[in-house]
Amino acid sequence: MGGFDFSNHSRNIALHAKGVPLPQATSTGTTIVGCLFDGGVVIAADTRATSGPIVADKNCQKLHYIAPQIWCAGAGTAADTEFTTALVSSNLELHALSTGRKPRVVTCMTMLKQHLFRYQGHIGAYLVVAGCDPTGSHLFTVHAHGSTDKLPYVTMGSGSLAAMSVFESKWKGQLTRDEAVKLCSEAILAGIFNDLGSGSNVDVCVITPEKATLLRNYIQPNQREPKMRNYRFEKGTTAVLSEKVITREDISKYVTVHELGEDGAAGTGEKMEVDT
Amino acid sequence: MASIIHMGREDPGYSFSAAPTAASANREHSFYPYVPNPSPLPSNSPRYTDNGGSTLGIAGATFTIMAGDTRSTSGYSINTRYAPKLFLIGGTGTEHKSARIVLSVVGFAADGHALAERLDTIVKMYKYQHGKDMSVAACAQRLSHILYGKRFFPYYVQALLGGIDEKGAGALYSYDPVGSYEREQCKAAGAAASLITPFLDNQVNYKNQYVPGSGSGLDLQARQAVPLPQQHVETLVRDAFSSAVERHIEVGDGLQMMTITVDGIQEVLIPLKQD
Amino acid sequence: MMFSLGTSIMAINFRDGVILGADSRTTTGAYIANRVTDKLTQVADTIWCCRSGSAADTQAVADIVQYHLNMYAITNNAPPNTQTAAAIFQELCYDNKDALSAGIIIAGFDHRHGGQVYSIPLGGSLHKQSYAIAGSGSTYIYGYCDANWKEGMTEEEGINFVKGALGEAIKWDGSSGGVIRMVVLTAKGAVRHLYLPDNGYTGPGSKPIS
Repeated sequence: MGGFDFSNHSRNIALHAKGVPLPQATSTGTTIVGCLFDGGVVIAADTRATSGPIVADKNCQKLHYIAPQIWCAGAGTAADTEFTTALVSSNLELHALSTGRKPRVVTCMTMLKQHLFRYQGHIGAYLVVAGCDPTGSHLFTVHAHGSTDKLPYVTMGSGSLAAMSVFESKWKGQLTRDEAVKLCSEAILAGIFNDLGSGSNVDVCVITPEKATLLRNYIQPNQREPKMRNYRFEKGTTAVLSEKVITREDISKYVTVHELGEDGAAGTGEKMEVDT
Repeated sequence: MASIIHMGREDPGYSFSAAPTAASANREHSFYPYVPNPSPLPSNSPRYTDNGGSTLGIAGATFTIMAGDTRSTSGYSINTRYAPKLFLIGGTGTEHKSARIVLSVVGFAADGHALAERLDTIVKMYKYQHGKDMSVAACAQRLSHILYGKRFFPYYVQALLGGIDEKGAGALYSYDPVGSYEREQCKAAGAAASLITPFLDNQVNYKNQYVPGSGSGLDLQARQAVPLPQQHVETLVRDAFSSAVERHIEVGDGLQMMTITVDGIQEVLIPLKQD
Repeated sequence: MMFSLGTSIMAINFRDGVILGADSRTTTGAYIANRVTDKLTQVADTIWCCRSGSAADTQAVADIVQYHLNMYAITNNAPPNTQTAAAIFQELCYDNKDALSAGIIIAGFDHRHGGQVYSIPLGGSLHKQSYAIAGSGSTYIYGYCDANWKEGMTEEEGINFVKGALGEAIKWDGSSGGVIRMVVLTAKGAVRHLYLPDNGYTGPGSKPIS
């Protein structure tokens, strides 16, 4: 059975009353936007995740897949946007399978708002839902308390005011695909540079009736500055208090051992993503 | 009670402490509309705001480097991308010529400004009255007294004071908001202090670094700190800030850096990331 | 911060049916989250409502009522009455009054009773009225409505009454604003009206609902 486990609720209330602070969730103090155009819809997001004033992730993805032609940009509590979109994505897939039809954006929006309303705002997900279905191109915002809006251009998150100022001064009807992508990126850039909760790169997703295209790191206006000094430590700089060598023969009694490639990367495993 | 005190005396019928019973007539020349009872600040309204940012000071053998980012914030907003946190103390004229002391303040910018202005005035007055420059040591103690003077309504700042001591060596003093101070070799203050301090510990005082091959286990010799050359310290400061910018949202826009030597103070402004 | 419809809404009876009217502002504190909100929501073929209070709460309530009226129409093979719709609204608003912040006006047209207007304020009580005003902006127009109200107005008179009242509400209430939306419900069906601030709420005017 799925759903939330509330068994620690009473304990946590008691702890909180004694002065134990609540654990801090990673929030995506964010700029997310969306805009309809002639023949489709664009959504965009920045890539900064924060925990208080600290940057928790410099290049996180806030554009979430829901269905092949429905994508969602999330602001608010990172875990809530992640799990809410994943849940709805799963249910929408099952719905599509049982009806034998392509999922609709309104269906997705309704599932999200009903889920969020049930939790009375405790699930801190603020979403921009966009997509194309047999009834056309659609763009919605869904707030944590469960209210929704349907508009030709939308912004959400802490950078929503900066981004909306771009839309309110530059938006016009009947945009082309490229114009919409440009307008959305510009709105995200306004958030990146004027809102401290937003930063790093611009992600864009263009959805047309034919296909959805994710443009990950479409603009990278904040490249990391190279350091002036070299911080490689000379070998032997770190104190070694004790040493124990386990031979390959010994360890292979318990686990499978793979030979590493020349560059040190595992031959079979995926390469870890590292910020450069 | 009152009748006993005033016994045999005529009540004057007025008092300066009593609230006025009738509004005074509209004054002829005033820029603002007349407010009968200007209400005081609500007791719960904030007297302080945190304007973010970070500062850093490192004292060398013959120099002291003071640095601070130039971003001023409140909440998630940027007030300005250029608000200096470094102030020249005791110089003459608008250019602050001949100054040899630098004060850096981070925390509540308005208090920082007020503090810098106060200290500047005091150091200037000292020079006029005694015909010689105030020593950094004296200035440092005076600053401590200024801060403690507002013990119960403090200047909401973390201050650093940099200069050259009477022996010609770099001097750096760090303060808490109510005046506790000490002389140090290097100090980071403000929002990103917790990010910069371990870097400084490792790269200036060589903490957690050992001399390779100098022994085994606990006999390994710790790497001894040595006075660093000016050029070296400058690059460390720039790297400290370019790193802090990556991980702290309140730090950015510009790096203001002042190098104090016996010959004078050299100032540079280096751009930082603006996101 | 909860999203609220700090609103001006109203509905009136007139000679041929009912007219619903609303401003279009949704706010979060001082920020206008939506300046072209549609607060006039259809819950059955000829039954509409005006929403005020929390956007999330009123949308959820309207969605649930719409579902019930749909089921009613299917099981009874007949469209629901306006009174039925109002009763379902009341049940939800009254039973959940501790959890909801919703002030709703229901207006509908059916051939047996003609046009009807019901109002459900915060506590969940139900009032049948000849006209109803609600939302934060309504406090400014009690006098206007009282002075200008006439029974049995023509459609043009009715539209001007609603437009005049909402115009005043928007003018004086900071939480109301944007465009004026209207729905005119008669035997001929529903017709939407839109009036923009750009031209002093004179147009563009009406558009039949497809």
